[in-house]
Amino acid sequence: MRTKRILTCLLVAVVLVPAAQARTKLVALPERDATIIRLDNPNATLIEEERILTLQKGLNKVDFSWKAVSIDPDSIRLTVLDHPEEVKLLNVSYPPGEPALVWEIASDGDYAETVRISYLLSNIDRLVTYKAIADKEETQLDLKSYLVLRNFSGEDFDKARVLLDYGDSFEQGIDHEETKRMLFLKAPEVPITKIWTWDAAALPWDPEKLENQNIGIPVSYRIMNDTDSGLGEFALSGGKARLFQDDGSESTIFLGEDHTALVPVGQKTELYIGDSRDIVVTQRKMKDDKVDPIKNKKGHVILYNTDELITAKIENFKDKPATLTMIQHIGGQWEMKKCTLDGKKATYTRKDASTLEFEIELPARTDNGPAERNLEMRYSRINARP
Amino acid sequence: MRNLIFPTILILCVAVSIAKVDLVTLPAKDMTQLTIYNSADLTLVRDARSLTLKEGANKLQFSWANTLIDPTSLSMLPKAHADKIDIADLTFPPRVQNLGLWNIESGIGGKVPIEITYLTSGLSWRAFYMGTLTEDEKTMRLQGYVRVTNNSGEDYENAQTRLIVGKVNVLDRIAELAQRQYPYGRPGEPVPMPKAAGVPVRRARMLKEAKSELIMVDSLETALKAKEIKKEGLSEYFLYTIEGTETIPHTWSKRLPSFDTDEIPVVNLYKFEEERGRVVRRYLSFTNDQEHELGETPIPGGGMKVYRTVDDDQHLSYEGTSSFKYIPVGEEVELNLGAVSDVIVEPKLMDEKTDNYRFGRKGNIDGWDQIRTFQLEVKNTRDLPVKIEIKRNFGTNAWDIKNVGKAKKYYEKVDLDTVKYTLTLEPESEQTLEYILTTYHGVRAEDWTKAHRDD
Repeated sequence: MRTKRILTCLLVAVVLVPAAQARTKLVALPERDATIIRLDNPNATLIEEERILTLQKGLNKVDFSWKAVSIDPDSIRLTVLDHPEEVKLLNVSYPPGEPALVWEIASDGDYAETVRISYLLSNIDRLVTYKAIADKEETQLDLKSYLVLRNFSGEDFDKARVLLDYGDSFEQGIDHEETKRMLFLKAPEVPITKIWTWDAAALPWDPEKLENQNIGIPVSYRIMNDTDSGLGEFALSGGKARLFQDDGSESTIFLGEDHTALVPVGQKTELYIGDSRDIVVTQRKMKDDKVDPIKNKKGHVILYNTDELITAKIENFKDKPATLTMIQHIGGQWEMKKCTLDGKKATYTRKDASTLEFEIELPARTDNGPAERNLEMRYSRINARP
Repeated sequence: MRNLIFPTILILCVAVSIAKVDLVTLPAKDMTQLTIYNSADLTLVRDARSLTLKEGANKLQFSWANTLIDPTSLSMLPKAHADKIDIADLTFPPRVQNLGLWNIESGIGGKVPIEITYLTSGLSWRAFYMGTLTEDEKTMRLQGYVRVTNNSGEDYENAQTRLIVGKVNVLDRIAELAQRQYPYGRPGEPVPMPKAAGVPVRRARMLKEAKSELIMVDSLETALKAKEIKKEGLSEYFLYTIEGTETIPHTWSKRLPSFDTDEIPVVNLYKFEEERGRVVRRYLSFTNDQEHELGETPIPGGGMKVYRTVDDDQHLSYEGTSSFKYIPVGEEVELNLGAVSDVIVEPKLMDEKTDNYRFGRKGNIDGWDQIRTFQLEVKNTRDLPVKIEIKRNFGTNAWDIKNVGKAKKYYEKVDLDTVKYTLTLEPESEQTLEYILTTYHGVRAEDWTKAHRDD
């Protein structure tokens, strides 16, 4: 048996109150029975524990105190399990200056009554982390999810049933100041889509203007939380994901890490692993003219349209093909006059009023050099004001 | 064999009492593999060990005091009997630091090969280069090196060493994770405060030992042929695997040749852009492709020293310092060697006038044209042919240019207000380029726009 630390204890003292109302503390420690740690709410942890109280006919006073443990006193509940009709909780009082409360319980007989005490306990929680190994071809992931229990509540739990918001509950003991990491989800064949994203608002346009620096194009893996992925049973909790890749010679390399937000069933998450420096985008503005100006009586331009031309050269230096997601932004009221990729009409998706998304297929490089594609956008912003 | 290497692994026999610890064995590392990154301070370590497990519950203790290991990255994998061995959990027990306990349920007893992986900080590598130009500066010998440095707090003996070229996304610094009081922090404490940085100094005796060992290994290596580095692409990165194994004690570093390519054809490129300073900068230009004796793998970024052979006796002159950015296969390299004075570009305004004034109703000037004639005097005082790029910025999009004579064939529009002249000059020669620039102001810019609507 482990020695209990003095600082952390939950005391339940049953005090039989005869005629006199003097409050005496009887330090009898009823053993804690079934204990449940509920971690289904990310903001607070609910503890439910069962104890047996020796009640006598009449009025009983039960002291419940907690030292060096952070319990929200308003959250404490007492549920009578064996004789709910015969045993009644009359009131709760809080003694001054101490972390404790006193239950006044009326009983119509002598019972060894099982009660359940529930309360919100601070500084005990769980994290979820992910570890995934991509295959060499980057088509799928071997995904594992770990549950990390952190107990800094001041209470030791020898044996408790741990409940999450999904999956089966399990038995686990955890001491104060202890951290435990457990594997709880395995999905060995999660399909992935690899995505390269160049956003005109986030990245420099002209690599030539940067003195000897590379522009990294963010690379992500897209994962769906659905049955095709071997997932889709419950929402994936937010957490840190570390990604590795099989190197084809019995080892792995670390690809990078990202934090995923909660992924509801049927939804996707995109994990940013690192930057590609083998795809180079050179974007330039070749034309930006104010046309059709309207002037006020003083001769000042008050309204105009624009005539703009943006060209982007996209080079793939990789020995594999890639699909680049290119994001362009045109603010205000606008009209596309001509939009071409290598001279042919190009299509884009309008994500919102000012965001255009192009999917650009890039072939692999050849012996003659990089694969090159050229995008041109000729557009007009309408009714612009100075 | 020294047995003071951290991290240590103990197998604990778990009988009735948890508190009673029986030490069963202290397995040595069978193999260590290091995968070192240079875009972030992190290294993936893979230790192969052989554990003696008993049937039933086993506890494996792993401690990492005085190292820079990120405990949240610890992972263990049985390499045989994987279906019979269940790694139930990893516990970081209370009131003990730098220690983890694996709870293992084993369906078999006996020796089991396992692999422990983790991330550590303190190991790093960088690439650097030496270029040696021939006397005529037509070709260059390029020697690439990598230098691996170990400040991790751990001595790595006979470790397979691999290097990653690439930029990985990292959320937390491994060095900070390694110094947390609690591996995953405490609830409600998102940013744990790292303790004082730095690794405790190891005992002098150990360093001395390490030193003598290194010398021995090195002298052995020099007797054999230089090691080769195998290069392969993985995802967006490149993996360099150094042949054989390396021994790198704590605080030591090691330089290894990465490649050595002779006779790379190079172009002496000179650039001038007034807005970046009235100086000519010299660049060495070549392409990372087969034509230039390269092109097998990207060239990782790193510093470079450039020399030139000055006579038949292999004497050298120092030409300057430069640096590589990451160069993908097939991309052109431009190594900046800094400002020079032996190639001269001098822009001169030769003539200036205004014209086509427009006046408003109140008699104010509403628009005008400015017409300027520029001459660019370009001189090559070197005894070698040189290529020169001159950029001119106009600061407005309403302009017309008239190139006079040879300037026409060198001319190229870069973007809406920038143009470029590219020419090659013979040794000790000069040329003058002339252009007439008309810029349009006020309502004249509107007229210009109307005239160029369909461009």
